[in-house]
Amino acid sequence: MNWRRILAVAKKNLQSLRHDRRTVGFLVAMPLFMIAIFGYTFGGSVENIKVYVVNLDQTPQDESVAAAIIADLQTRNTLKIVRSFGPEDAATDPVELGREKVESAEIWATIFFNETFTQDAMRVVSGETGLPAFIRVIEDGTNPNIAQAIGNEMLSAVRSVLGVSSFATPIAISPELVYGEDARFIDFFAPGVMGLAAMMVTFMLAIMSFVHERSAGTLERLLSTPVTEGEIVAGSALAFGLVGLGQSIVIILTAVLLFDIQIIGSPVLVLLVIFLFGVGNQGLAFLLSSLAKTEFQAVQFLPIILFPSLLLAGVFWPLEAVPELLRPVSSVVPLTYCVDALRSVMIRGWGAGDILFDLGILLLFAAVMLGLSAYSLRKRR
Amino acid sequence: MAGANREAEERNAEAADRTSAVVLTSKLRKEFESLVAVDDVDLKIRRGLLYGMIGPNGSGKTTLIKMLVGLLRPTGGKALILGERIPIAENISRIGYMPQEMAIYTDLTVHENLELFAELYSMSKESFETREKGLLKIIDLADRRDSLVSHLSGGMRHRASLACALIHDPEVVFLDEPTVGVDPELRVGFWKYFADLRARGKTVIMTTHYMDEALRCDVVGMMRLGRLIGEGAPKDLMERTATTDLESAFMTMARKVDA
Repeated sequence: MNWRRILAVAKKNLQSLRHDRRTVGFLVAMPLFMIAIFGYTFGGSVENIKVYVVNLDQTPQDESVAAAIIADLQTRNTLKIVRSFGPEDAATDPVELGREKVESAEIWATIFFNETFTQDAMRVVSGETGLPAFIRVIEDGTNPNIAQAIGNEMLSAVRSVLGVSSFATPIAISPELVYGEDARFIDFFAPGVMGLAAMMVTFMLAIMSFVHERSAGTLERLLSTPVTEGEIVAGSALAFGLVGLGQSIVIILTAVLLFDIQIIGSPVLVLLVIFLFGVGNQGLAFLLSSLAKTEFQAVQFLPIILFPSLLLAGVFWPLEAVPELLRPVSSVVPLTYCVDALRSVMIRGWGAGDILFDLGILLLFAAVMLGLSAYSLRKRR
Repeated sequence: MAGANREAEERNAEAADRTSAVVLTSKLRKEFESLVAVDDVDLKIRRGLLYGMIGPNGSGKTTLIKMLVGLLRPTGGKALILGERIPIAENISRIGYMPQEMAIYTDLTVHENLELFAELYSMSKESFETREKGLLKIIDLADRRDSLVSHLSGGMRHRASLACALIHDPEVVFLDEPTVGVDPELRVGFWKYFADLRARGKTVIMTTHYMDEALRCDVVGMMRLGRLIGEGAPKDLMERTATTDLESAFMTMARKVDA
């Protein structure tokens, strides 16, 4: 291994890019486009969220605060109450039934008012106690956008019934998440989009460039010089890893400045994960490029690589939402580990020590891909 | 005793060949599945020669050259380049190679291409700059140094590719059809440069389709169906076959082999 030659190969790849302004534009615009589409699509208001309502409040209907809140909810279409339970259903344990329906993802939430709900609220109003009456919301937090909509809707119903807009309401909403973090959807999907964008760009650019090198004979010509197979592979990995990195910086800036994404953990760790993942992807592209004779054939590999990652790697929904049958596929798709690592760092604020497993898998992916790439070149001789 | 003497003589001869011969092959062979692309070729190319290889398409010229520069592994026989067995590692930077398909980066400028190859050959910055200036003048691309190769005409690309093969001032250079698509005026310039290389003790081995170019070579090798069917100075080849041009000489040789 000779650093000078590795750098020469890397520089060559980056120079090619510099002369191709359209591709550079694509590099910058593509993630912006993706993040904007997803951000605005999932950032809008949601309607008809299916919920159960369990009202065990013993206070007569016309005096019950719970009944008033439920009636208020029904005036708008944010929540769709698919089933209501009253005090007469208490024996059938409707709360437990509601929880099961949330767990099986048939409904998004079960809203529960207990037997003493109105009395509890009145005691706060009369100053008897400081402890508010609780509305328990057992909800599926998988989609933070929906979880947030439920929370907002409950709050506005409570305020409209009580006619107060201060923070010290006698009623509190107590969410219980069945799935998911307490995060906004954009926080949830930003790491996924970053991983996905890095994958698409490094893979596409690398496979195009390698197929062209093979068909134009430049790869073979390089091999007639003192540069070794390993140096060519290392130089290309460096170049495309850096491209992925540059693109991630664009995404992070967009996410933070435009969509107010929080990165709780270290941004450097985020970039390291992307770099490792980009290197692995360019190795995969290098290997597959030996199977494609033209750039056109190379493009055909994209959906094969893209769809499992897009659907099964936990970018848009959690791995728990992936059907049992396809879970093994999820666990061999490298993007799964990249997204998991990015989410842990960005949302949970974890450090390198906490994501050693993901880092190890990504390192293994990169090492195996680079090793096989160098070997495949050697075999051609 | 006689046998031992002969062996010793052979060893001496081989040692002498090693020093004077830039390319030395014995029964060099390349098979691709059922196809014999190069069929037991014995070559001896001395230092400081202009060696021309002629023969129809598919006669094995390119395969032979690719083996000699270490891009293809022979399936039989052996070959020494500058005294080292191929595939070569030690003296790879003393060899230059220009493939038929040009094979330079069309998305880089002429200068960036030259710089890449100079880096791969670990040239110093100063010697690269002097070499580049000189070569750009010879290939008449000095004013297109910073043009993208994709913006150049076919002939210009060919010239840029030639410059990449020569940037590190190799001792022996393999040129696969270096003058295809190069206009007559510039071809004259190329040949002047090849003569200049020879005068400096360099060895140029090229394939060509132009018989007038073959005539200018010191030695011509005739390839047909993977075999070397004739070799010698152009004049000798014509005398031996009692012909007045190389094309007829080739035909006569081919008939002799078939018979």
